[in-house]
Amino acid sequence: MNEFVVALGWFGLFAPVALGAIGSAWGCALGGSAAIGAMLDSEGGYGRFIGVSLMPSSQVIYGIVIMFSLQQTTVDAANGAALFGIGVLSGFTMLFTGIRQGEVLASAIHASKAKPEIFGISLAPAAVLEGFSVFALVFALVLAGSIPS
Amino acid sequence: MSRPHQYISLVTSLPHLGKLFSVKDVPISGFRLRQRIAGMLEPEHARLLREVVEVTAWAGVAKYDEDIEIIRRANQVIGELKDYPDLQHLVGARMETRTLIAALRRRRDGQETAGDISTWGFGRWCGQIKANWSDPAFGLGHYMPWIGEAHRLMQAGDHIGVERLFLTQVFRQLDHYLTLHEFDFEAVGIYVLRWVIVERWSRYNEDDARDRLKSLLDAALQGPEGPHEHVAKGLFSADSLAS
Repeated sequence: MNEFVVALGWFGLFAPVALGAIGSAWGCALGGSAAIGAMLDSEGGYGRFIGVSLMPSSQVIYGIVIMFSLQQTTVDAANGAALFGIGVLSGFTMLFTGIRQGEVLASAIHASKAKPEIFGISLAPAAVLEGFSVFALVFALVLAGSIPS
Repeated sequence: MSRPHQYISLVTSLPHLGKLFSVKDVPISGFRLRQRIAGMLEPEHARLLREVVEVTAWAGVAKYDEDIEIIRRANQVIGELKDYPDLQHLVGARMETRTLIAALRRRRDGQETAGDISTWGFGRWCGQIKANWSDPAFGLGHYMPWIGEAHRLMQAGDHIGVERLFLTQVFRQLDHYLTLHEFDFEAVGIYVLRWVIVERWSRYNEDDARDRLKSLLDAALQGPEGPHEHVAKGLFSADSLAS
C-alpha cells in the first residue's frame, strides 16, 4: 500500500508540468493557427497576433513552479496523497485553462481583425482565464507549505 | 496541420465582409477566395461547398431550365449535407425564401391560383401559399412580415427594393447560423454564401447593368448556348475549386 501511495506522490509531483505542458501546447496551437491565418489577411501588426497567441505558454511555467514547490526531500507514504491531490488537480486546471485560453485567443484575433479597435478589450476573457490559473498556482503554493515533509 | 487548426487558420485568413449594402467592392476577389479555400479546405468539404453554392447562388441555378430540376437538386444537396444540419437548414431556408419570391412574382404576373405548387415550390410553406394565394403575405405575414413588404414593393414595380429586401432576409438567415459556428466547415460555407451575396450586390450599378444587358443581347443574337454558358460560370463552378 505504501508503495502505491509513493507512486501516486510521484505522479502528483510531475502532473502540473505534464498537464500544464499539454494545455500550453494545445492553447498555443489554437492561438497560433488563428494568428497565422490573420497574418495572411493583414498588412502589418503581425507581432501582436503572434504575441497574444503565445499567452497560453504561461500554464506550463506555473506547472513548473508548482512542481518545485511540491518537491520534497523524499516522497513517502506520509506526503504521497497530498502531493497527488494538489499536483493532479492543479495540473488539470492548467490543462483546461490553457486549451480554453487558446480558443478565446483565436476568437479575439478573428474579431480584432475585423474591428482592430477592440484588440485590447477582446483579450479580457483570456486574461480572466489567466487569473484562474494564477489562483490555482497561488493556492497550490500555500497548500504545499503545509504538506508534512 | 490538423483539421480544427487548419480551419481556424482558414477562417481568420478571410477578410471581414462588412455590412450588406455598405460595401462597394468585395474585400477579397473571387480569384483570391477560390485560391485560399482550395488550398486549405478538405477535398470532400470543397465538393460539398461547391454543391451548396451551386444550388443557392443564382449563377448556379441559372443553368436549369425547369424549377423542378432545381428542387430535385436542392433535395439531393440537402441529403449529402447529412453531417452538417445547419447547412441543411440554410439550403432549405434559402429555397423556401426563393419559393416565396417566386409565388409573389407569379401572382404579380397574373396567375390566379398557385397551381401545382409541387413543381415550382419547396419546403414548409407550399401548403400555406396555395391555401392563401389571395392574401398579400400568403397568410404568413405574422411570422414573416417582410413578405407583405415584398408584395407592396413588387406591386409598385420597385425591383431593386424587392432584391434588397430578399438579400437582407437571406443575409439574416446566414448571420443567424454564423453565430453557431466560428471555426469549422459550416463557418467557411456561411462565409462563402455571404461573399456571394455581397459580391452580387456590389455588381449592381448602372454601368454594369448596361454591359450585362449588352452581353446578354449579344449572346442571345449569337444563339441559344450563349447566355447559359455565361451565367453558369459561377464562383465555385466545378473547375474552379478543383484548381
